Amino acid sequence: MSANLLSVEKLAIRFTTPFGIVDAVRDVSFTLERGEILGLVGESGSGKTITCRSILGLLPKNALPPAGRIYFSGVNILDLAEVELSQIRGEKMSMIFQTPTTFLDPLARVGEQIAESLRYHLKYNHAQGRSYSIELLRSVQIVEPERRVSAYPHELSGGMKQRVMIAAALACRPEILIADEPTTALDVTVQAGILELLRQIREERGLSIILVSHDLGVVAEICDRVVVMKDGCVVEEGTTRDILINPQAPYTQKLISSHPSIDLNVSTQVQEDSRGSTSADILKVENLSVTFKATEGVLQHLFGRGGAAIRAVEGVNLNLKQGETLGIVGESGSGKSTIARTLVSLVPPTSGRVIYKGKPLEEMTRQEFMAYRRAVQMVFQDPISSLNPRMTVNQTLAEPLLKHRICPAEEVDERVDRLMRSVELPAELRIRKPHEISGGQCQRVAIARALTVNPEILIADEITSSMDVTIQAQILELLEKLRDEMGLSIIMISHDLGVIQKLCQNIAVMHNGRVVEYGTAEQVIKLPGDPYTRQLIAAVPHMPVKASL
Amino acid sequence: MADQLTTGKAPAIAKVVATRRGRLPFLTILGAGIVLAWALVAIFAPFLSPYDPIATDFNAILQPMSRAHPLGTDSLGHDMLAQIIYGTRVDLSMGLIGVAAPFVIGIIIGIIGGYFGGLLDTLLMRLLDIALAFPFIVLVLAIVAILGPGLKNYYIALAIVAWVPYARLVRAETLVLRNLEFVEAARVLGYDSFYIIVRHVLPNAITPAAVFLMTDIVLTILLGSGLSFYGLGAQPPTPEWGRLIAQGQTYISQAWWISVFPGIAIVLMALGFTLLGDGLAKQLKVRQ
Repeated sequence: MSANLLSVEKLAIRFTTPFGIVDAVRDVSFTLERGEILGLVGESGSGKTITCRSILGLLPKNALPPAGRIYFSGVNILDLAEVELSQIRGEKMSMIFQTPTTFLDPLARVGEQIAESLRYHLKYNHAQGRSYSIELLRSVQIVEPERRVSAYPHELSGGMKQRVMIAAALACRPEILIADEPTTALDVTVQAGILELLRQIREERGLSIILVSHDLGVVAEICDRVVVMKDGCVVEEGTTRDILINPQAPYTQKLISSHPSIDLNVSTQVQEDSRGSTSADILKVENLSVTFKATEGVLQHLFGRGGAAIRAVEGVNLNLKQGETLGIVGESGSGKSTIARTLVSLVPPTSGRVIYKGKPLEEMTRQEFMAYRRAVQMVFQDPISSLNPRMTVNQTLAEPLLKHRICPAEEVDERVDRLMRSVELPAELRIRKPHEISGGQCQRVAIARALTVNPEILIADEITSSMDVTIQAQILELLEKLRDEMGLSIIMISHDLGVIQKLCQNIAVMHNGRVVEYGTAEQVIKLPGDPYTRQLIAAVPHMPVKASL
Repeated sequence: MADQLTTGKAPAIAKVVATRRGRLPFLTILGAGIVLAWALVAIFAPFLSPYDPIATDFNAILQPMSRAHPLGTDSLGHDMLAQIIYGTRVDLSMGLIGVAAPFVIGIIIGIIGGYFGGLLDTLLMRLLDIALAFPFIVLVLAIVAILGPGLKNYYIALAIVAWVPYARLVRAETLVLRNLEFVEAARVLGYDSFYIIVRHVLPNAITPAAVFLMTDIVLTILLGSGLSFYGLGAQPPTPEWGRLIAQGQTYISQAWWISVFPGIAIVLMALGFTLLGDGLAKQLKVRQ
């Protein structure tokens, strides 16, 4: 049982790019045993995906022939010709990808896509393929497999698509399954189901799995052993328990301490904070509902008859106090972003009221409304597209100062300087454009831009969700610092309970457009009342031990 | 490799891209050279031209190429070289003036429709569909026929009809940009719509329209000289190339040079703008 199924020895992969030769992977060695789940962890650019692709012989065209050896049942895969490789691919090893939406062919029925490899490798006929596809769909726990087998991908949810992709990968009974960030694009409750499925498949079929992930929580949940990668090198390797409890490499320690896992035991440090409880409500949301009309055509315009209405937010009540951080947590489609967009008047409310300092928005004069607009600022999810690609950092930050005459023109320079310092950006980035700085830096610029107009409330909509954990930790720290120094009130929106708990005193849990639970962070996480909240908390992958760092 | 965007190696890449941008492909340089040469010819026409292009010389009718008349003369004794040189002014300005109004109108309609959406967009796009429903050249011919021949009416016809592709291109870009987060951030910062459109949307939406502009100059010149060929564009004695070709038609068997040399001139000008436009499109694609 413990024989090495796959061993990678001194693998090195280089790319030719227009900017010269780049080392993507250097001197990587690890082994995979039969029936084992091996985690490959690292941040973006660490070479984990490239390593996996080389195992399947699927390197991009600009890769130079890799150095080193990859042994699979005694054969060096790197020596094989394409014909021999295609025998191994699909039949002996298969792979599932991060985005099931782009992996599945939108024009082919699910069953045909699963049966394709069976027909190719094992020469199944149509009927055999179909009946085996149904069986596979059942084994990946898709309800009503007889019906789903003839569905098209767009008729399935994200989680179901991922299950279909797993079914297709398992079709030829491979010995190794490579899963590249299989749950990154999914909600946590769906993610929990997929991880459970992978574990079961391993038990039932004695499959070996290589799980590539940036998320230590996911790895902790199901992997037996972990390989930590950074900048194309293996930093540390060991059993999951050893790595998480007793990490040796400084990078692993940093990765673990940056991970925003939720913590059921320790009471949140902000609890005793008196500011939250004594000060007055700065913003109040009363019974807010937002409804979107589905696609409108010219006839609907002319006759005033809209299409079907979609209720994004229904009857939401929230309070925000001066200096408070309110977390809104929910899965995709729960309506949390719509609330944010309503608060900054990007979306009009269908009914209900937003009350700022005791005055409802609809009763405001134009001047008061303009003041409100400036008082409530928002930072967006995608740091790169939140900046105008044609403007330098300096232009981006100076623009609101000049346009709103926040300070005299001769002081603008100094103001920009101060803003950049407060978000910890080096001064030399001033003349750079967004594509010339990193994602984390872009997000800092976006935060600084929101601060130019001296806001009282900052709405942060998933601002760290596209970032590596170490960068995420830095940005969260920055927000905390700004809140304390400038007395900002923050509404933090995230799908990640760990991120929310790190920063927020109060938490609202949203599900299908409603707030299902609303209370202090401690209450919500320790004593969740609503079944959905309990499900959400249970679904978050846990690390066995909160790092004592 | 997209990861490099987020790992701080970006400045190095930007530098490389900048140097690569400096090395233009040969055909682009050739195109730019041709366009520049025609522009110089147009500007310095009085110095380059050996004769007055509309001076009739009845002692030199239908002369073949000679030292005195390098490209021969036509049936009224006009020197062909002089006419082609002065014709550069007419045809080049016809291309540039002809696209100006459609370019501006198209961008305004496209950006307003795309940015505000809703009923306004629906109405503008139906207007666009109406303009598009008629074959382009037939519509231009019809308008010119109604307004009467002449270049001024040609420009008016273009302004009515030729804005459609610009509006389409700019609207498509605007639809994407409108939902990009920097545009939303500008709204959250309380800027007015006009400012956001001019400062944040327009500079990012204009690229495809600018590329199409190069192609459109060629089309406008070709269509304009075509109209002149039929007698609907430039009127005699204006030395317009298309009109010169038409004029030589009658004498094609005795004096081929009257039609051939203006034809070559048109081809060369179209080639210059086409090469330049192609090169521009490729460069902009590289940058994105």
